Formats: sequence, structure tokens, C-alpha cells
Amino acid sequence: MDLSVRIGPGTLPNPVGVASGTFGYGSEYEKLIDLSIIGALYTKAVTPEVRPGNATPRIIETPAGMLNSIGLANNGLAGFRAAKIPYLRTLPCPAVVNVAGAKGDDYAKVIEELAAEDCIWGWEVNLSCPNVKTGGLALGTDPTEVEQLTARLRKLTSKPLIIKLTPNVTDITAIARAAEAGGADAVSCINTLVGMVIDTKALRPVLPGKTGGLSGPAILPVGLAAVYRVARAVRIPVVGLGGISEADHAVQYLLAGAHAVQIGTANFIDPTVHQKVLDGIRAFAALHNLKSIPEFHQFID
Amino acid sequence: MAHIVTSVLENRPVAQDYYELRLAWPSWAPAPQPGQFLTVRTVDGPVPLLRRPFAFSGFDRADSAASIIYQRRGHATTLMTAKRPFDPFDILAPMGNGFPDPGSGRRPILIAGGIGMGPMMFLAERLAQSPYPGILIIGARSGQYLPRVVLSRSVQTILCTDDGSAGRKGSAIDIAREEIRQDGCAPELYLCGPHGMLAAGHALAEELDVPAWVAMEQTMGCAVGACMGCVVRVHGGEEYARVCMEGPVFDSRTIVWT
Repeated sequence: MDLSVRIGPGTLPNPVGVASGTFGYGSEYEKLIDLSIIGALYTKAVTPEVRPGNATPRIIETPAGMLNSIGLANNGLAGFRAAKIPYLRTLPCPAVVNVAGAKGDDYAKVIEELAAEDCIWGWEVNLSCPNVKTGGLALGTDPTEVEQLTARLRKLTSKPLIIKLTPNVTDITAIARAAEAGGADAVSCINTLVGMVIDTKALRPVLPGKTGGLSGPAILPVGLAAVYRVARAVRIPVVGLGGISEADHAVQYLLAGAHAVQIGTANFIDPTVHQKVLDGIRAFAALHNLKSIPEFHQFID
Repeated sequence: MAHIVTSVLENRPVAQDYYELRLAWPSWAPAPQPGQFLTVRTVDGPVPLLRRPFAFSGFDRADSAASIIYQRRGHATTLMTAKRPFDPFDILAPMGNGFPDPGSGRRPILIAGGIGMGPMMFLAERLAQSPYPGILIIGARSGQYLPRVVLSRSVQTILCTDDGSAGRKGSAIDIAREEIRQDGCAPELYLCGPHGMLAAGHALAEELDVPAWVAMEQTMGCAVGACMGCVVRVHGGEEYARVCMEGPVFDSRTIVWT
């Protein structure tokens, strides 16, 4: 079984990655998890400037899920270069830098300034963060803007360029096609769903920003349907995420048309989930005599 | 920090809504220190989803046992009350930074409110064996919430309640203030409990111009420093600090008290 995954000019050793925002920059988990088994480590979002993040509380549990409003907290481009790049050079797995910002110039700046770093395998462009006032979600819901920004970033890098899509739109396939037209090597979906929790004793929303991003097992069917539709709308690979907490969930994403997957919220809960998912994908492939990841796509029309 | 799949030794009520859970501690696992915490996966399923953090209330290498004291408050902690001896207990531990030793010549005053009793009892036991034993003050709303836990004879303990139904009448902070005045010592404060009590403890420390260490609480996602969820506002260059990594124990002067 060949587990490798081709995305544009790059190859990932296996299809099981860890999602941006749930795994820091890798060092946070090195005592708990063998990082060499990870197919791709999508870093916490990097923005040009330092972002302290949103007011607290930032997290609240929901039925089979969690709502977050972190606000892209990160140390900015300079902080990333100084504190994180040296560590990424030592990573035993491919590092995909998640890029975020408030406007197109921000995304361009991050990619331009980090373009020469050999330790960066590729980029995941976060056009879908629901927790910042401008950029992110706002940029990611207009197909014209998505195509233009993707084309602009495409010119800045020869590394794999993955556009991360939001589910908070009427038709996610329109955004995916725009990313493809702009020259993206792949799309990843889904980012979190906009959600809300109200404290009925205090008579106010629990999160100071009122709404946040929903993740966890609750969103698995939503992510799966999005990947199923997007995989049929574009020719570039689709990276599926949303609610994966066991091998069967990841296999469902691959069957739906994904070439790779990301584990997100489950990183917080089960340090053995990556190995289990990888083992489960291998076992499924052996059972059905599949030789490569694209062969997973033959079953469902 | 390690992923430890161990088992429950004992799980018993110690006050109304409060339980002490003892768990087997493998010999290879690092020793927890007072102030450090574990996160437990309460079920093997999606509800409740996230691991729940609890401060250690004791550790005994000779007995191969560690303990936590938890309050039955929601779904996850209600499920925990059903844990029986030999049930598996899936934890990440020990997490975060523990309490530092007191400064030279300082008398440790340990102030616990509600669920803060666990780590303060752990710290009091440790300090009782050190050159600088302290006073442990445990406050509760009412007598039924005070713990029925046997501490070493060498731990000087004062119990107090808001309604005077058990122990001395008054808040733990008020009792601490009285004790410090009578003792005439140069104190160093250690606090764990509700946010309001920690803020009052910080104000007392400022008034006396003495150091205070507070164990902060915040809803956690990963508890390993990755998700940036469990932050508190701090003074200085960085606007926020992570409770799981920079804390949970902070010098009270670094916290932005609101």
C-alpha cells in the first residue's frame, strides 16, 4: 500500500495530518506523540503582526463538540522566524505553515518573507477564520476575491499552496473552483462552523465575541458532505477535516473523495489517535486490496 | 508530562459535592508537585468531549498513589463520581508549574476556598516536612462543604465558614489577615480557590507588601500549550499567559485583576 499523497509539486508521506490551531508548532506535543508518523503538521496561523488574541473565555464545550474564539493569537512573522523556524527545521514530518491576515497584503507578506525557508513544505491559506473581524472568513466567502488572492499568492511561491475553505457559505464548491482557477494545488475543508452558546443564568453569550467556531465530532457529517461535493467540483486534491476522532471517520473522508485528512480537536483528547487512524487506513486498504489513496475514490459516485 | 493510562484506587465523598479520587501512580511516571494538575478523559466517547483538568491533592511515591479532589458540578464530574476501584483512568500528567518554595525567613500562609482545598492540602503536607511549615486556612460557604480529610498532625489547619456553621466565622482571607497580625511573621501567601478570593488575596499581599502565589483557573482545550485557549490577562509585553504552560501558579502581581 502506497500511503503517499501528491499535492502539486510536493509529496506527503501519508494522508494523516494535524490541523492548524490544534497542534501549536509541534513542540507542544513532542513528549506525547511520535511526530514522525504525522503526514503533515499544519502550524498555528501566522500573521504579519503579533496578535494577542481574543478576550476570555475562549473555549466552551458543546454537545459532542467545542466552540472556540482564540482570535489567531500568535507572535507574528518576526516571532515565528525567531522562535519557531529553528524548531521546524528539526521536525521529522512535513510542516505546512498556515497563513492568515486581515487583508491580501498580509497573506502575501507572510509567504514572501518565509518563501526561502527550506523547512516549510507548503502553505495553507486560512481564508476562513470565523473569529477575526476582517480578513479570514470575510475574504473567503467571495469567489472573485478568493481567485484573485490565490493567483497573487501563486506568483510568490513554488511550494504546494492549499486554500482552506469555510463551510459558512451557501455553496462551498464555488469557492473551491475559485481557488482552483487561481492556481491552488489543493483545497482543505472544512474550517469551523459559526456557532453560539448562551449562558441562561448570566443572560449573555458565553464567548465575549458572542459567536465562535464549532469543531469536534459534531461537525463530522458537515465536513464529509462538503468534501464529497468539493471533490466532485474540482480536479485538484481535497484535504478533508472536521470531526475526525477515529480511523473510520478518516476512511469516510477518503471514500468521499479526500486525498488526505487532518485531525483537529481530537488531538486534545487522544494522543494515540494518529497511530490509530493510520493503522485503520492501512487495514481498510488491505481489506479492499487498495494500492494507493486515489483508489479509495472508486466506491462512491 | 506523559500520557498515563492508570486505574482508580478509591473514589469517596469528602464533603457535600466534593470527592477525593486516588489513582495508582506508575513508577515510571514523573512525580507531581503541589500546584501541578492532570487532565482526565472521563469517557471513551464524544460526550463530554474535552479532558477535564484537576489539581493534584496529594502524592505518595511509597504508596504508588496520587490523588485529586473534585467537585461534582456538571456532566463530566457527575460521571466521575461513578468511578470505582480498578476502573481505568486515562490522564495527561503532571502538567503546569507547581508552587515555589517560600522566600528565606517567610512563613507560608496557605489559603484555600472550595475546590482550591486539594492543592493547598498537598502543599501544606509538603511544607510540614520542610524547614518552613505554614498555616493552612480552608474556607467554605458552610460546614457541609468543609473536607473530611485527615491531614498530618504537623499541618496547622484552620477551618472557617462564611455562615459560622463550622470552624471560625469569616472568609479565609479575613482569617488569614488575623493570623498574620497575631503571628507577627513575614508571610508569603499561597492561594487556590474562586477568582474573587484570589483577587482579595492579591489585595492583601499588596497591603502587606508580601509575595503571593495564585493558582489560576480557565477553561482548557489541549492543556499542553498548543491551542491558546486557557489564557489569563497579564501585565508586561505579552498580553496573555497560558494557564497550562506559564501557570497555573502565577506571582499575583503579574495578573491583571478585574
